[in-house]
Amino acid sequence: MTRLKRLKGIGILTGVLVLLLAIGLLAAGCGESDSKNGTTSEEGKSSGVSGKVTCSGSTTVLPIAEEAASMFMDENPDAEVEVQGGGSSTGISQVKEGVVDIGNASRDLKDEEDDGSIVDHKIALDIICIAVNPGVGVDNLTRDQVKGIFTGAITNWSEVGGADGQITVVIRDAASGTREIFDEKALEISDDNPVELTGSAMETNSNGIMRETVASTPNSIGYISFGYLDDTIKAVNYEGVTPTIETAKDGSYPLSRYLHMFTNGEPEGAVKGFIEFVMSDEFQNDVVGEDYIPITKL
Amino acid sequence: MKRIKRAINNFQRKEVGIKIILVTSASLSILAVFMIIAYIFRESLPAIRTVGFKGLFSFNWKPEPANPPAGSYGMLVPIIGTISATFWAILFGAPLAIGTAVYIDQMAPMAIRSVINRGIEILAGIPSVIIGWFGLTMLVPALRNVTATNGFGIMAAGVVLAVMSLPTITSISVDALRALPPELEEASLAMGATRWQTVSRALLPAARRGVLIAVILGIGRAVGETMAVQMVVGNANQVAWPWELFKPTSTLTSRIISDIGESTGVFRSVVYTEGLVLLIFAMVLILAIRMVSRERKR
Repeated sequence: MTRLKRLKGIGILTGVLVLLLAIGLLAAGCGESDSKNGTTSEEGKSSGVSGKVTCSGSTTVLPIAEEAASMFMDENPDAEVEVQGGGSSTGISQVKEGVVDIGNASRDLKDEEDDGSIVDHKIALDIICIAVNPGVGVDNLTRDQVKGIFTGAITNWSEVGGADGQITVVIRDAASGTREIFDEKALEISDDNPVELTGSAMETNSNGIMRETVASTPNSIGYISFGYLDDTIKAVNYEGVTPTIETAKDGSYPLSRYLHMFTNGEPEGAVKGFIEFVMSDEFQNDVVGEDYIPITKL
Repeated sequence: MKRIKRAINNFQRKEVGIKIILVTSASLSILAVFMIIAYIFRESLPAIRTVGFKGLFSFNWKPEPANPPAGSYGMLVPIIGTISATFWAILFGAPLAIGTAVYIDQMAPMAIRSVINRGIEILAGIPSVIIGWFGLTMLVPALRNVTATNGFGIMAAGVVLAVMSLPTITSISVDALRALPPELEEASLAMGATRWQTVSRALLPAARRGVLIAVILGIGRAVGETMAVQMVVGNANQVAWPWELFKPTSTLTSRIISDIGESTGVFRSVVYTEGLVLLIFAMVLILAIRMVSRERKR
């Protein structure tokens, strides 16, 4: 009986393995043809780039830079791109010292960091929208109301003009760049002003899960990148300003930031090729556009 | 004569070859275990050194990934969350599972028995993410409707974990009951005991060690479960004791899965330390099983 069962098990296992293999082959086949298309369309722009590019800095920019590096190296076999994290400040100081060619940052250059030789390449715009469950009857929140809700001072929607209902606060994980900007710009948290978030805040670790959670939890509030807004959640105005690309660009909507690649002087050679690749329509639309507003669309 | 000798030689050579293969595979798994333990321990060391036991075993959780080693990294909230969720999982799951085991072993007609057996096998094979999804879309809203909370928390996690530990506890309890000598049951029934008296006074007490091992293994399943729990426990950074059923909180596994992606430096090391605590939980459970089964042999 057991042997029979085992035999059956092996049969099923083999079947599954064969199936997986088939799927894997299929996927590999698709991937190949994709990258081939990419090469032909890109060839005119960046063929023949060779040399080494190093970059370090913001962990928010890191996934974009890593993706760009691997795609860039696929197209330019003679080029080598090395990407490291470390944080925006590290990236900026290392590019100034000449340790790396490109410093990635998720914030603007501070005045004391600007020595005149740093060249700014804005690669994406990130807009953080305050989103609530569609059932919440509140359309605008002030700075103080947002602070009150996320720190736990305000716990019921009736306190900010909505219907009676216990507020569920949804936040991002500690390493999230979206959380970084929200904490800094909306809650004004800094080393000098440490603010305790409400303990009942639920952590989500991606924009997608944030959207799912806010959409499915009545009376919930969270924050999300502009690109993830859809009709399952409701973006509220902040200080009376609707989050749009225009209001973010002219600065009237404050919860936004550019992602940067800084170089020491105008880039040359492989560095130039790499930054041009990051700025290309194809990369901006396909990769940057997944999480942020492509710089080409501004 | 020669031929026989050669045949024996062949046999011996084959025997030795098989032995080598078996010894290699056995030592590989032992090696893997030791490497995992050594690796997790080594990666935890920076956290233990910089944060210290006092810092790690506190309620203060405020990672600052941007500027380590600043920030506080207390693990008590997820440790207590794991214990609370597991407590309810076993409280819900164990009686249900043991009841099922008794029914399968004692009362179920052949046809129903195999239906239940297949059902439990399928339950054991359902990927945890699907059970978690079910919990998120059915259980959490249901809990939300009957309580004044958002539904996430220890209760939801406990129910989901009960479902997941059910197959483990049931099948091992069935084995324990089946291993009892048939005379026990026959004698009890012959003495005029009812079915229920036989089960509760003779069979379950006799099989109690096996059932206890089943429950301990069920605890192990509940402690280590990740995906399903993360989806329903709320991932909030506040302590929830076992009696605080509807307070969103975190477990060790949900914290690890939330933070493993983007943590760096000390923060990352703390994530490994959380893994180390889980490993210690597992070892304690294995030790408990050894003690129970050793007692049984005596």
